[in-house]
Amino acid sequence: MTRFLLHRLIYFTLALWLLTVFSFLLNWLFPGDVITNMSGIRAISDSYASEFALRGGDDNLVMQYVYYLQNLINFDWGYSLVSQQPVWLEASRTFMATAEILLLALLLALVVGLPLGALAAMRYHSGVDKTIVSIAVGGYSIPVFWLAQLLILLFAVKLRWLPITGQIDPLFLIEPQSGSVLLDIALSDSAHKAAAYRDALAHMVLPVIVLASLPAMLLLRMMRNTTVEVMQQPYIKAVRARGLSPLRVAVKHAIPNAIQGILQQLTFIFGLMLANAVIVESIFNWPGIGSWLLKAIIDRDYPVIQAALLILVATTLFANLLFELYRGWRFPIVREERYGAT
Amino acid sequence: MINLRMTLPLVLGLFSIACSNEQQLPEPLRKGLVYCSEGNPEGFNPQRITSGTTVDATAAQLYDRLIDYDAETQQFVPALAEQWQALDNGTRYRFQLRDGVAFHSTAYFTPSRPFNADDVIFSFNRWLDPTSLYHNVGGGNYPFFTATGLDKLIKRVVKVDTMTIDIILNNADSSFLANLATDFAVILSAEYAGQLAVDGTPERIDHQPIGTGPYRFAAYRKDYFIRYNRNPDYWREGPQIEHLVYSITPNANKRMLKLVTGECDVIPYPLVSKLQSLNQAQIEVKSEVSPNVAFWAFNTQKKPFDDPTVRQALSHAINRRAIIDAIYYGSAERADSILPPTSWAYSANGSDVDYDPEKARQLLRQAGVRDGFRMTIWAMPVQRVYNPNARRMAELMQSDLAQVGIDARIVSYEWNSFRRRLSRGEHDTALIGWYADNADPDNFFRPLLSCAAVAIGSNRANWCHPGFDQILLEAIATTDTETRRQLYRSAQDLLNQQVPLLPIAHSMRYQAQQDFVTGVELPPYGGISFRRAGKELKP
Repeated sequence: MTRFLLHRLIYFTLALWLLTVFSFLLNWLFPGDVITNMSGIRAISDSYASEFALRGGDDNLVMQYVYYLQNLINFDWGYSLVSQQPVWLEASRTFMATAEILLLALLLALVVGLPLGALAAMRYHSGVDKTIVSIAVGGYSIPVFWLAQLLILLFAVKLRWLPITGQIDPLFLIEPQSGSVLLDIALSDSAHKAAAYRDALAHMVLPVIVLASLPAMLLLRMMRNTTVEVMQQPYIKAVRARGLSPLRVAVKHAIPNAIQGILQQLTFIFGLMLANAVIVESIFNWPGIGSWLLKAIIDRDYPVIQAALLILVATTLFANLLFELYRGWRFPIVREERYGAT
Repeated sequence: MINLRMTLPLVLGLFSIACSNEQQLPEPLRKGLVYCSEGNPEGFNPQRITSGTTVDATAAQLYDRLIDYDAETQQFVPALAEQWQALDNGTRYRFQLRDGVAFHSTAYFTPSRPFNADDVIFSFNRWLDPTSLYHNVGGGNYPFFTATGLDKLIKRVVKVDTMTIDIILNNADSSFLANLATDFAVILSAEYAGQLAVDGTPERIDHQPIGTGPYRFAAYRKDYFIRYNRNPDYWREGPQIEHLVYSITPNANKRMLKLVTGECDVIPYPLVSKLQSLNQAQIEVKSEVSPNVAFWAFNTQKKPFDDPTVRQALSHAINRRAIIDAIYYGSAERADSILPPTSWAYSANGSDVDYDPEKARQLLRQAGVRDGFRMTIWAMPVQRVYNPNARRMAELMQSDLAQVGIDARIVSYEWNSFRRRLSRGEHDTALIGWYADNADPDNFFRPLLSCAAVAIGSNRANWCHPGFDQILLEAIATTDTETRRQLYRSAQDLLNQQVPLLPIAHSMRYQAQQDFVTGVELPPYGGISFRRAGKELKP
């Protein structure tokens, strides 16, 4: 396990390092002044000279990169060209806002997708199976933005049950501190916390459902297919022959083995969700990192674009690492450890 | 099975959240009002800007002026000045200031004294006196005052005693009081400015504002919200609500949906026809005749738009009738002059530029513009009173222009970047507009088409015509209405010949709100006011 761990960590660090090099080089690829692209401080500003010195404007590329890394690690990510707010502050808040719906959506996708997938596999080729599979194909085929519009029309406009934009009604006066609205309510000194939580949860329902729909359907199909495969394995036949009840076969043997295959795909699903988060956040005005990046691209706000890309990619890498490590720990076969040799 | 047991509580949970809307509104929502504005403000000081979005967000909420204009009685009424008189043949105005007006007390500033003459002098000198400490803070541009010539008109502001000031003019001007009553002539706190200067952070004055208005600034998050709290020490009758939030929602469709779902209490620029088709009984649509104009400005400092023939040709190429039907849904009329027909100085003789692609082609050939000529149309990204959808309008114009062999490309940026780039003259042509800040016709000419306006970048056509400037100057030097009418007529005739811009439409200003919202006012001149806003909720 140590070897496996080290291996993965080295790959992760390497990828992260390449990412910083790429992000650093972006400053040259963007049009305009390099120091301005890095710091968000324009050449006409009074503080440009000190920023220039701080970031080694006169030094060679390698030294500049060292300064760049230093600033990165110290969370001195410069200022937004548009709002002149510190990039790190906005970055951490928007990241937390995204993480909030992303994790909830992932949870929802797992809770919906896996059991339904397993159920369909257990009832292979029955009416239940066919119903579930057709729902999955349908859900999988609807584009995210379209689903969002349909849900908005039904739940918000027709039934008027749910709000459609933002994290919480602004009149609750919850200051964005961490960025995650549930945490912010806890941190606030609002006298109406219960109502605020209710309002925040209501705001979350639609974005989370929309974000969860695609991964849920994907997971469902994967779970069904792998479970069907597993069910045909000789060891399943063996336990069946020994007279275990179908439920026990499923819970004890088939499903855990099927899940191992699914975990491998979670990285891919996570990446997909991150990409969809950009769309969902824009539709629901969720102040997350995706909509932040989108606005920055429209405004050519280079320090922000850089920071958002850096965080999105680093998050994907980190999630990847976590899934890998979990699989390695849980399913030793993944580690490919060769005993005895070398 | 397992999955049923797991999903059931989840579904029930969702329903309990969903149904909570049906119950009574929680207290914070009863005591506050959400206004879904159409864009980010550029700052919190109306002295420095001209965009209606910023005016709507700041002027009537945070600040007061010396005098106000009452559109109903068409008279100037006292505000921070209790009374005033014109002296020395209209070249000196004396203002008696109001006693006991408190500036905002907030987390970042606590006033030690009430409003007095020093604040007026500081506020005026900010834009009037280039040597004053704060003049260059934030760039030193005061477009409204430069464009109206107020900075040239006022010689100086003199303190007579603590509660009396004199404003001395270089010459008598018929539009002086009207300009003082606009949203831009606000009064800031000299004490706050002094404190910021000591702290070495003078630029905060425009971002953490202190005024005397009905609301105090609380927080601003770009692209999301502005938050104001009621000013409990307001000197006249203030709002009934405790909190006012601007929820920034640039997308017009989303704004309408948010009104329907109850997330917004009031929205500007609703899509009136769509809203009516949704048939929501609890939503009220209000309209106000508004002195405005949407126009298509040609950048006359770029070739070939420096040639009046080309500009005339382009004017004939556009089917304005069709555009107005498609964009305004009947809530606007075609503009035949930059002045709206309701203005007393309006004149329309000989200004009917008809849709005539054949003539346009001919004029283009005459001017030597070849087939397949490429140009850009800059379409503003936000809805304004005068133009609810500039990008759609640009698309319609694009196809009109294709008919006469012009390949037009549409350019758009975020609103503030858009305006910044326009000021730098990066455009070929731009779709934008104007609405008047005061009742004087001068307000349509000098801020938009004078040479001074070129210098500060509010002249979207970059058109500087000395003869035209001369007419405008003569028109404000006299108070005789008939003479002024004649002068403005010749100014409009000159515009018809030169076509630095093509007027497109004069539109109504709309606002939609929940029926329980009261006291939200849309004055014909100036931005929205929440001074008397309240909510009449059923108990």
